[in-house]
Amino acid sequence: MAFLGQEEQIRELQDRFKFLYAAMFLGLGILLGRMVHLQLLQGDRMRMFSEENRIKRVKVAAPRGMIFDRNRRLLIDNRPAFDLEIIPQYLRESKKTEAVIAKLSKIIKMPEKEIQEILDKSKSQASFLPVKIKNDLTRDEVAQVEVWKIDMPGVQIQEEIKRTNLFGDVAAHLLGYIGEVNTVELPRLNKKALKYKLGDSIGKFGLEQQLEDILRGIDGERLVEVDAMGRIKLTRTKNRLVDPTLERASVPGKNLVLTIDQDLQLEAAKAFGDKSGSLVAIDPRSGEILAMISRPSFDPTEFSRGIPPQLWQSLLNNENRPLGDKTIQDHYPPGSTFKIVTAIAGLEEKVIDENTKFNCPGVIWMGNRAYHCHKKNGHGNVNVVDAITLSCDVFFYRVAQKLKSVDDIAKWAFHLGLGKKTGIQLARETAGLIPTEEWKKKRFNQVWNGGESLSVAIGQSFVLTTGLQLANLYASIANGGILYRPFLVKEIESYEGQILQHFKPESIDRHQLSPRTYELIKQGLWGVINRPNGTAAAQRLPGMDFAGKTGTVQVMRIAADKIYQKCQNMKYKDRHHGMFAGFAPVKDPVIAVSVIGEHVCSGSGGAAPIGRAVIKKYLEKYYPDLYGEKVLAARIKAEGKERGLPAKIKQVEEEGVTVNADSTVRTEPVPAPPAPPHPDAVMPQESENSEGDDE
Amino acid sequence: MSTHSTMETPQDQPRFSLSNSTGDDELSRYNWTMISIELFLFFIGIVNLVSATAVEDKSQGLFKTQLAYFGVGLVLTAILIFLFHYSFLSRVAYLIYFLNLLLLVAVFFVGKSSLGAQRWIGFGPVRFQPSEFMKLSMVIGLAKFFETDRTTSGYTLREMALPALLVGVPALLIMAQPDLGTAMILLLVFGSMMLFLKIETRTLLIIAVTVATALPLAYRFALKPYQKQRVISFINPMADPRGSGYNSIQSMIAVGSGQLTGKGWKKGTQSQLNFLPEHHTDFIFSVFSEDWGFLGCAALLIAYLFFLSNGVQIAYQSHDKFGMLLSLGILMIFFWHIVVNMGMVMGLLPIVGVPLPFLSYGGSALITAMLGVGILTNIANKKFMF
Repeated sequence: MAFLGQEEQIRELQDRFKFLYAAMFLGLGILLGRMVHLQLLQGDRMRMFSEENRIKRVKVAAPRGMIFDRNRRLLIDNRPAFDLEIIPQYLRESKKTEAVIAKLSKIIKMPEKEIQEILDKSKSQASFLPVKIKNDLTRDEVAQVEVWKIDMPGVQIQEEIKRTNLFGDVAAHLLGYIGEVNTVELPRLNKKALKYKLGDSIGKFGLEQQLEDILRGIDGERLVEVDAMGRIKLTRTKNRLVDPTLERASVPGKNLVLTIDQDLQLEAAKAFGDKSGSLVAIDPRSGEILAMISRPSFDPTEFSRGIPPQLWQSLLNNENRPLGDKTIQDHYPPGSTFKIVTAIAGLEEKVIDENTKFNCPGVIWMGNRAYHCHKKNGHGNVNVVDAITLSCDVFFYRVAQKLKSVDDIAKWAFHLGLGKKTGIQLARETAGLIPTEEWKKKRFNQVWNGGESLSVAIGQSFVLTTGLQLANLYASIANGGILYRPFLVKEIESYEGQILQHFKPESIDRHQLSPRTYELIKQGLWGVINRPNGTAAAQRLPGMDFAGKTGTVQVMRIAADKIYQKCQNMKYKDRHHGMFAGFAPVKDPVIAVSVIGEHVCSGSGGAAPIGRAVIKKYLEKYYPDLYGEKVLAARIKAEGKERGLPAKIKQVEEEGVTVNADSTVRTEPVPAPPAPPHPDAVMPQESENSEGDDE
Repeated sequence: MSTHSTMETPQDQPRFSLSNSTGDDELSRYNWTMISIELFLFFIGIVNLVSATAVEDKSQGLFKTQLAYFGVGLVLTAILIFLFHYSFLSRVAYLIYFLNLLLLVAVFFVGKSSLGAQRWIGFGPVRFQPSEFMKLSMVIGLAKFFETDRTTSGYTLREMALPALLVGVPALLIMAQPDLGTAMILLLVFGSMMLFLKIETRTLLIIAVTVATALPLAYRFALKPYQKQRVISFINPMADPRGSGYNSIQSMIAVGSGQLTGKGWKKGTQSQLNFLPEHHTDFIFSVFSEDWGFLGCAALLIAYLFFLSNGVQIAYQSHDKFGMLLSLGILMIFFWHIVVNMGMVMGLLPIVGVPLPFLSYGGSALITAMLGVGILTNIANKKFMF
């Protein structure tokens, strides 16, 4: 139905078709050119971009080395733990945020408000990134969440391998804990060969910190395919185009086998109960540390997983300082346990010999000051062995008077390993303090006062030792003069259990004492426990030759009229510290122990029983043919006849009468107590104004 | 008969003929070329859609729905080819136009919104976009308008006022939905038809200057913030690679990473891992080019070229002005869809929502395209009836 004249018009329009074609070819030609540009010229680059888009490097965390006790009992393990996470985007998309949070709140027993607050805080990060809501769900909670998962979009369970101390708080200070590397540590760490990134774990305390380089593994890297949301795609694994040679397997950290015996640790913890203090047990034949605990303690597992602030606060505020390490970080006046040093000084300086006897009338005067013995009526005539057994203060005052100066005591104290660090493989060890005339001059710009030497002779005044030093001192007496460097790690083994390194005992020094001196000291120490009038006769272990020395250290300076006040009636913080150091058996000793009991009132009642329990446990466990039940019973019977000792040992007179000469008469200004030796220490520590006293 | 386009072909012979269109019996005399190319393109489209909708998201498995739309489209095509003469469209042209315009207005009152735009009208489970059909209705209207018009020396502004109103009203309605892409297609088709019909030189200059000055003003005052953002990110996608530039960058990466031979069917990581937005609709071409690479893309381009040139031949051979303008208009729709969509996917043009014919998922667009092919085929066949 053409209109009139259309033929012409159509012909005219047909002429324009060539422009139409030109335009068409131009349009499609530009498209083709762009294809050539993008796909052929830029193709490699674009392919690379697309690979970077979809392939993500994922860290494969290397398992940290495990830690075993000397009998390969597992102490620290890597265990799976379950955390609850929410992906805010999915939650929001579900449009039932409130219902989900309400439901979740019931399951994980966490207030709705708290969950909402955590989510609010996470708003600065991309909403498809998971937000951690709660750590360490219980099995029940995990099961519940899994059951209700469909009703709770965005809620997911994340399994993570976490550092776990299997024995909780038993050896927190020794084993330590790990934590995330922080920005302060990072620059210092990355000077080392092994690089750390934010979020990596690192040992923060104890052996975990000291042996970081051994325990830490090398993280691997896996390439995974992710979608635009960053979600890992598992469904396409069979079509994976990822080049496996670009992946790197993780290398696990090395395991540690410690010298520690976990049975002794548990025994010691049990013996301490809720008391505060520390215990160190050493094998005197090698310097291996058999037990080392500080009470009260904390659970390192909680630290490794990010400690809740309330718990941290309660640990900080606890008056018994659970965060402080009372074995090496805190030092105390050793009290009477120091008397063997004075005895050695006297014997070796030849101001006394084994036959020297001093009369103890209960008090001696020096200048216008009275120096009391803990026994008000005195011990009468005592020789050095009796003096140790009875802990006669006057005898050691006299020894100090006979010595040229306090430096003669200090010389032997240093020689025996006091006043300096033992060099154990733990951070924050304190050197303790052995005062000399020069030291006092330097420290206080004061001349040494002769009376102070008397206090030093009984382990007071300025004398400070750590629990570890005491244990090592008694170990060196026990083994006849070899001062070993105490050590904790026996072996380093590969992840598969192959031994890579075995640590041998290292002797720091050999005492230059006459053999007779050891005999006399040992006799005295044996008497403390095994003679009826010994200060710790109640702690005797029948059939086990066990020797040691008790000490009681006054915490507060006490007015003269309160000297004889019952310790138990004082305020807790004012009560005396109890000390004990000893070893067993007397002949060829296999264990040396030191115990510090804070505010336990006395060494014999508060500290010695703890040492005794550990020694007993050790002998029974490792020498059943010598100390097994039947053997022991037979020996007790034989010994009883041989020595004619009374079957029941009479409890020695209560030694609670504590005398401190300083507290009665003062004629000169009291020097300030030593400053805390570690101002830079991370862990809080208490510097007590400790005044010594004795039994 | 000649089968190839050469410059030596005599004027009275059909140029650019790509198929043998004469035969003894009636059916074999029918020109099936357009339908054949359409089938081929749809086949590519559905294979590609299977890949695009294998992605684990809301588009999963949607290719089945597309097949159903295709079935509907085939029925409508058959009706168009066998039961009508296209000149019937000339008679009802304005009726169709106004009915469609009414539907466009209705969208604002009973329409359903999706992705922030109100474009759909629903009849029970079926819903469609009147704006898609408006393209055809507009072309029919324009063809009707210019059928009787005798101007040969070029149109002036006054002469173009009415047809401009014919296009402007639906274009504004569609822009208000908002659907900038479709509105733009209307204008482009109108513009190219006018150029073909010749515009007076002075008028053309006036228009050019007006547009050049109006564009910045339009950008400043008429565009919505998200539309401005698209323009910015088109000029420099890296200005905000995670935000407004993201789609453009990811799409270019998808196309480019296909390289020469592609990553393989369903193996395009950009699409399968959801890096591409709207990968089953507007960005379908990036899925195709990632899977099949340059070779696939060039082949697709050739198929479109076949399709377009065959259509142009139909227009050339039509015996009346209405048929010629109608077929040309339809071809312009196809042409601009192809150029704008591919140009956008490959980062040559800003991002506007324009589907790629036969490849993008979407019922209204597919059926519109099939109706267009139906009309073209009708025009191709009916010329022998005179």
